[in-house]
Amino acid sequence: MSFLDRFKKAIGRTTSQDPFVADLIEALSAERVHFDATQRFLHSHDASVFDEGNAGPVCFPITTQEVQEIMQIAQQYSRPVVARGAGTGLAGGAIPLGEPAVIAMTKMNKILEIDIDNRVAWVEPGVINLDLSIHLQQYGYHFAPDPSSQQVCTIGGNVANNSGGPHCLAYGVTDAHVLALEVILPDGEMAVIGGLEPEPEGLDLRGAFIGSEGTLGITTKIGVRITKTPPDVRTLLLSFSSMRDAAQTVSAVIAAGIVPAAMEVMDQRITNAVESFVGAGYPIDAAAVLLVEVEGLIDGTEIEASHIREIGFKHGATNIRVADSEQERELLWKGRKTAFGAIAQIAPDYYLHDTVVPRSSLADVLEKIDEVAERYELIVMNVFHAGDGNLHPLLLFDAREEGMLEKVHAAGAEIMRISLDAGGVLSGEHGIGIEKQAYMNELFTDEDLNHQNRLRYAFDPDCRSNPGKVLPAGHSCADIQALKKVPEGIWG
Amino acid sequence: MVDLKIGIEELNTCVQCGLCLPHCPTFRITGEEAMSPRGRIRLMQEIQMNDRPITKEAVDSFDTCIQCRGCEPACPSGVPYGSLIEQTKSTLVEKKYLLPKWQQIPFFFLTRPRLLRFFTRLLVVAKKIHLLPNRFAMPENIPIWDKPLRESGNDVYLFTGCVMDAWQRETHRSSKRVLEHLGFGVTPTGDRIPCCGALHDHAGLMQSAKDISQKVIRSLSENELPILVDSAGCGAALKEYGHLLGTDEANRFSARVFDIHEWVAEHLDVLQSPAKLPISVIVQDPCHLRHVQESHEAVRLVLEPFVETLIDLNDDGLCCGAGGAFSLFQPALASQARERKVAGIRAQSHDVVASANPGCMLHLQQVGVNIKHPMEIIDEALSRGIQI
Ligand SMILES: Cc1cc2nc3c(=O)[nH]c(=O)nc-3n(C[C@H](O)[C@H](O)[C@H](O)COP(=O)(O)OP(=O)(O)OC[C@H]3O[C@@H](n4cnc5c(N)ncnc54)[C@H](O)[C@@H]3O)c2cc1C
Ligand code: SF4
Ligand code: SF4
Repeated sequence: MSFLDRFKKAIGRTTSQDPFVADLIEALSAERVHFDATQRFLHSHDASVFDEGNAGPVCFPITTQEVQEIMQIAQQYSRPVVARGAGTGLAGGAIPLGEPAVIAMTKMNKILEIDIDNRVAWVEPGVINLDLSIHLQQYGYHFAPDPSSQQVCTIGGNVANNSGGPHCLAYGVTDAHVLALEVILPDGEMAVIGGLEPEPEGLDLRGAFIGSEGTLGITTKIGVRITKTPPDVRTLLLSFSSMRDAAQTVSAVIAAGIVPAAMEVMDQRITNAVESFVGAGYPIDAAAVLLVEVEGLIDGTEIEASHIREIGFKHGATNIRVADSEQERELLWKGRKTAFGAIAQIAPDYYLHDTVVPRSSLADVLEKIDEVAERYELIVMNVFHAGDGNLHPLLLFDAREEGMLEKVHAAGAEIMRISLDAGGVLSGEHGIGIEKQAYMNELFTDEDLNHQNRLRYAFDPDCRSNPGKVLPAGHSCADIQALKKVPEGIWG
Repeated sequence: MVDLKIGIEELNTCVQCGLCLPHCPTFRITGEEAMSPRGRIRLMQEIQMNDRPITKEAVDSFDTCIQCRGCEPACPSGVPYGSLIEQTKSTLVEKKYLLPKWQQIPFFFLTRPRLLRFFTRLLVVAKKIHLLPNRFAMPENIPIWDKPLRESGNDVYLFTGCVMDAWQRETHRSSKRVLEHLGFGVTPTGDRIPCCGALHDHAGLMQSAKDISQKVIRSLSENELPILVDSAGCGAALKEYGHLLGTDEANRFSARVFDIHEWVAEHLDVLQSPAKLPISVIVQDPCHLRHVQESHEAVRLVLEPFVETLIDLNDDGLCCGAGGAFSLFQPALASQARERKVAGIRAQSHDVVASANPGCMLHLQQVGVNIKHPMEIIDEALSRGIQI
């Protein structure tokens, strides 16, 4: 920033009527606190379709201490805060409600220490998921949770959403890979949760924090478990002439006692969109494709791969291809992992669902979802982590069409109910955020919700950490109207 | 309220997924949404469709874009980011948000080779007596007087461009010798085609770029000879004339343009295999070769027979920060981008770095990187014996 810019910013600061902002600037620096309309607008969104966010000042801390100071200042002025990673959340978790200070963690992106003996990596929360795995390659390790957004999402965001990914079928989602967290609580106090010992002393609060979507405090340092990269990997691509065949193959593989590292299904529409981006040789005429990966020692993978082929053909696979180079394998995965992004080729907007249903009811649920889409005249596409029954039906639409959003939300609600009726849960991995708040009442009893709320109160009695998220209205913290609103126009 | 004049369909292809973020040098450096492709597109959408006022911060967001287009191949939705930002900058210049008149003066010289050479001499002298700021990247050894390249036949054109012909003519000489070695008679375009208009287009001077491109097409349309380019930036611009002008004539012209490495790679077989130079070479991919022309592999193909080892940088082709005139207008960001690149280069033992773009060469040379154009390396291998 030039001297002139700095000067202008300094002037702007003296004319800013908000001492809250002035104090934040004092604690960080003028370059790392933005409060102009443009910056606040840009931080009012994430990758979800929710548009009602309204950010306060946007802070870019670079140390734990700065995060602590931000929290203390926010406490002092009774202002809310919301943490933000890469903003790839699909449930609106990082969308600011009630003009909170946005704490963007992207500048805290250092890999602090790799401890091979203890199989731990210490990282700052803004480290990009894939960057850690790339860094670990030289040691023969990787970070196992691999959300499809792994090339951009932050580990802090993964922890907050307890994110999963294709390879979490064998390895478990994020919470199975987090050993310790350093967090700043809403009152500015620092706490260390968990530790390297298998049974850390005192109450193990990791479970409470992981997946809490930034509502209990802000993570500033994470100790993650690193995983040895297996010596051999086989990737199979199975084509089917119906979605039902693909779904039944998935159940049959698991029933045969094989737990592949990953099992992913894509329907025909999404396969076509993906193929035109990556050119990986995905079959564009198959009604569904199943991507299966097995890993381990060479002998084991060979046996498992041939077993899966048998099961596949028995359940109607029309073609089975095995990737025979690392390059081919990477291309196939690139296709799967960019699937959500590729759909703009079909429609400008999408609404992505994230529910988990028992594997055995996969085929039935998918058919019911098709019916709903048909009734609402919406295009639906399916791409999902089949191995653990984690569905991601995508509704495609053009938001500019009159009444479209209402239609999409109504169809979404029905889909949610279908999964709950089939014995499923609300979120596989993307979190509750604002997306599914209203449905919490359907899955949990009032008593459950009150307990959840009490837990939250224990850490955040003023409801200032990511207010308006997760817990439904009526359960206090969602009540953002109660928050102090900043007078119009104060931030330009 | 300002109409950016971008097609709504093009703008709407962005679903804001964020998958392009890590491929953007300015996002990598700053971690800020406003410095990311997604943020920039979001602002375009809002300005264009919801009448969002253009604030200083919005202008900054667009102006800090290096236009490296690393975000484009990374985008699964096929958002045509290059044309979005060019159109945006063009409108911003037109409405006087960007590039005040005095900043447009240097662009005037680009299409006037004699003046450009005259000023180059003044600059050489000014640099010698330390009148120029350090960030002004300029080769050390520009001769005060230099003969233009001579025609050696008419099988192919060698596009010589503006600044490159004034400052890095030695590179053209190498390219020409390599082509002649392969048996092609070369017609250098020289002063007849002073500039391709790429720098104008990137700066938001779209009308000037269009005027220039029409002149270029006219001057080279007396025959159908292939047009070979040894500057990745110029090559990308010439190949995009079809898109810029939207005419059949321009499309036909663009189809005749080849990056010199693409051409040489196709004709390598006529060469007797020479002794390899005993050097290890890091290949640095210029953005406009890798992300726009997508012909960066050709550089490896042509270098491979001539040098002992080729080394790739493990950085996804992230921009070095040169970006045409970007390093002059945004020196801080440009040097931060360069630091990343240089750290990657220094981490690998090597003798020389090969870069197929004059801008990247100057930008990296400035901090002491030993960098050569691939054609210079091949030229040396063919003439043998000269020390690198
Ligand atoms: C194309 C695409 C594919 C995706 N695929 C998957 C997938 O396969 N599996 C999956 O699980 N998800 C997926 N997602 C969703 C998303 O990428 C994940 O939820 C991811 O973990 C979010 O990380 P982020 O850094 O973007 O966080 P954000 O979106 O910025 O934030 C998410 C939540 O985390 C909180 N938060 C962020 N950092 C901190 C911190 N340091 N301390 C406290 N709270 C914090 C925020 O307040 C917010 O509530 C996908 C998204 C996209 C766009
Ligand atoms: S440009 Fe492409 S990759 Fe980037 S956010 Fe938009 S759709 Fe996603
Ligand atoms: S062109 Fe380059 S600098 Fe500009 S947004 Fe795309 S990746 Fe970033």
